[in-house]
Amino acid sequence: MLETFVVWLADELAAASSSLVDSSKRVSLWYLLSAVLFAWLVLSLRYGALGWARLKPYLSWRVWWHRSARTDYQLWLANRLLLGVLIPKTFTQAVWVSWLYFYWQQQGFGDLQLGWSDATVVVLFSLCYFLVDDFSRFLVHWAMHKTPWLWAFHQVHHGAKVLTPFTVFRTHPIEGLLFFLRSMASQSLVISIFLVAFPNQVSLWQVFGVLITTFVFNVLGANLRHSGVALSYGSKLEKWLISPAQHQVHHSVARQHYDRNFGVTLALWDRLFGSWHPGNDDQTLRYGTGQAIDEMGMLGQWLEPFRSLFQTLQRRTKQRLKLRLRGK
Amino acid sequence: MKKSLLAMLIAAGAMQAGATSYEFDVTLKGYQGDATSSVSYSGQIARHALHNSLKKVVSQGDEAVMLQYLSGTEDGRKLLDPASKDGFAIKQSSIDELSKGKNLVSSAYDGVITGWPGNPTGQELLEQLVAQAAQSNQGYDPVNGYDYIQLVSKFAMGAVFYNKAVNHYLEEKLEADQHPNNEAYKAGVPYTGKEHVWDEAFGYFGAPAHGLELTPEEVVQITKQNPEYFAKADANGDGVVDLKSEMAYAHAYYAASIDASAGTNYFHTIMQAFVDGRQLISDAKGERLTDAQRSELKAYAATIATAWQQVIAEAAFKYAGSVYSDLEKIAAVEEAHGDVSKSFRNYVKHWGELKGFALALEAAGRDLGNAQAGLDRLIGFSPVLFGDMQVVAQDGQGGFVQASSGSMQEYKLNMIKVQNLLAQSFDLKAKLKDKTGGMSDVLKQIDAAGQSAEND
Repeated sequence: MLETFVVWLADELAAASSSLVDSSKRVSLWYLLSAVLFAWLVLSLRYGALGWARLKPYLSWRVWWHRSARTDYQLWLANRLLLGVLIPKTFTQAVWVSWLYFYWQQQGFGDLQLGWSDATVVVLFSLCYFLVDDFSRFLVHWAMHKTPWLWAFHQVHHGAKVLTPFTVFRTHPIEGLLFFLRSMASQSLVISIFLVAFPNQVSLWQVFGVLITTFVFNVLGANLRHSGVALSYGSKLEKWLISPAQHQVHHSVARQHYDRNFGVTLALWDRLFGSWHPGNDDQTLRYGTGQAIDEMGMLGQWLEPFRSLFQTLQRRTKQRLKLRLRGK
Repeated sequence: MKKSLLAMLIAAGAMQAGATSYEFDVTLKGYQGDATSSVSYSGQIARHALHNSLKKVVSQGDEAVMLQYLSGTEDGRKLLDPASKDGFAIKQSSIDELSKGKNLVSSAYDGVITGWPGNPTGQELLEQLVAQAAQSNQGYDPVNGYDYIQLVSKFAMGAVFYNKAVNHYLEEKLEADQHPNNEAYKAGVPYTGKEHVWDEAFGYFGAPAHGLELTPEEVVQITKQNPEYFAKADANGDGVVDLKSEMAYAHAYYAASIDASAGTNYFHTIMQAFVDGRQLISDAKGERLTDAQRSELKAYAATIATAWQQVIAEAAFKYAGSVYSDLEKIAAVEEAHGDVSKSFRNYVKHWGELKGFALALEAAGRDLGNAQAGLDRLIGFSPVLFGDMQVVAQDGQGGFVQASSGSMQEYKLNMIKVQNLLAQSFDLKAKLKDKTGGMSDVLKQIDAAGQSAEND
């Protein structure tokens, strides 16, 4: 029994550390490195020799070993272990896709027989896959900010006082579970529809084992989003793509930055939902929520959301009672 | 000078890679007899002939005759298949000419089969299927949806041939203390222990000895005894096809048939590994195999076992697709108020093939992980029948108990899941009659990238 547990633990930890060399993971060393090269290139073009100084937050041990960053690392590993148990193994993508694939056919939807080439289908599928994935991320993220009981969990992520690429893992396990379900649902939807419409032609356009858009996104500094390096894409491009600076605005503690820039890759969704905000190379921001959670350790990050959730519910019940009493 | 040296090297290399046919000289030290070949697997060929003949008699319904081929050992059993026909003469005409005293059931898998009601062992299940076939209408039971001709044949191939080869000869018998290569297999024979162990596994595969010289399509036509391919079968040109070395049976036929349809390479992969492994043993020249040689041999054995398992899974995959199509046809005929009896008969036949191959996968003591439970549940104990019923158990008298299940149309979804499960669990390549639109390939891509539990 103990042996099984130790083996499982070792496997999970080995899998976690393998993320560091796995080109399909954002925190792989390649992307950590490519981000700094990309930032250096852009900032040098803009500011010459002074550009290098702007990279300081990315290269500073004070940031990487900040108490907040250490909590990120702990959460990364602890969540991995917990989600390994929480996420049901039998409820796989294959089950979802098979069911939907069959369901569409029962509804009379079938092979479109458009005679399109494999390449066309691959490009179209990859594009739709990317769009649905990006929009569903936006939507769930938006909901996490707008719904009090979801925010109770999402505040963990915003409790980071310094940003490092590993802040992407600073989430509550409940949020992890929700995002897992999101990814299952959105992927299954697109895959099943395409399999029915274009049988035996569907394939993702991948580079080094990842979707091409994810690859480009990661090479071009996805890791800078959670870092102190303010890098704007410029006023024109930022209307289409969320820059690192824009995501940093999302993490800002300042009131005027609340609920801005929910998007991951595309800025389009934020513009549609009226939450778009530009970024700036010279912005100086403070990160965090300004609440008690910012100062808590790993266990606090796990437990505090349940306390705030309970508080929210309590407050609501009281309000309702009051309203009812007043109504009488 | 350089050139001729090079030519010599190449020639030597070619000799090393050497054998294209499964023929090997005697290497046994101190052998005094006059045999020149050390290859022998006539007992396996006798069992192939018993299986082919059994398939013929299941459709005739006489239990006593069926038992002769399944569990009998008596002399004088008729060779019903393969038999000579116009333009395709067969050398042997009785089982005894191949080998005496052999039967199928005693070589069958004796572990539990979870995919059949009552958890019988492989041996018990074979006996049970034959007994029930005798109660049916020439092998067909429309009430429970069973085609015993298919169930008996497809399961027997797995439980006997595949099991014996991969679970016995290519597994435990390759260990150092089992039938060592520096001793005769038994007193008086011209072959060593390891030579014969390997030959017996090869015999169970069912390929002609010159299989590497044949295309998959030619192998298929030889099994079908197509007179146009007689010359291809008759490798030694003596005017008759020798069942011991020139015929193709069972999984060798299925491997070739899948390759011929899909352009895959299962047949030659397995055949080559058998020839290479046997060459390795011959090259040891009657000495005990070193640990290094045995581990090389085990690598060939692993190649064979993996590809063989894939062949069975590919066959199950294909028939899951046929079952799906049959259900579509039944729905169409019903809608047009036509006679569904013919479509239903095909459905039961294809289901029998699917189930037989799926049961075969679990009849060799190999760990299938959760694929085994998945296949058992998705396929069920019988096809879904009219009135949305399915066999769920067996009663004390061996009769089948039915209960309400999902609808026939919902059962189609199970077939999609079966295909996916097979494709993913066994890394299938051919995927004939794919009803999933190529789902498993896409899922493989997505799985490789992993599920994302993070946002931003």
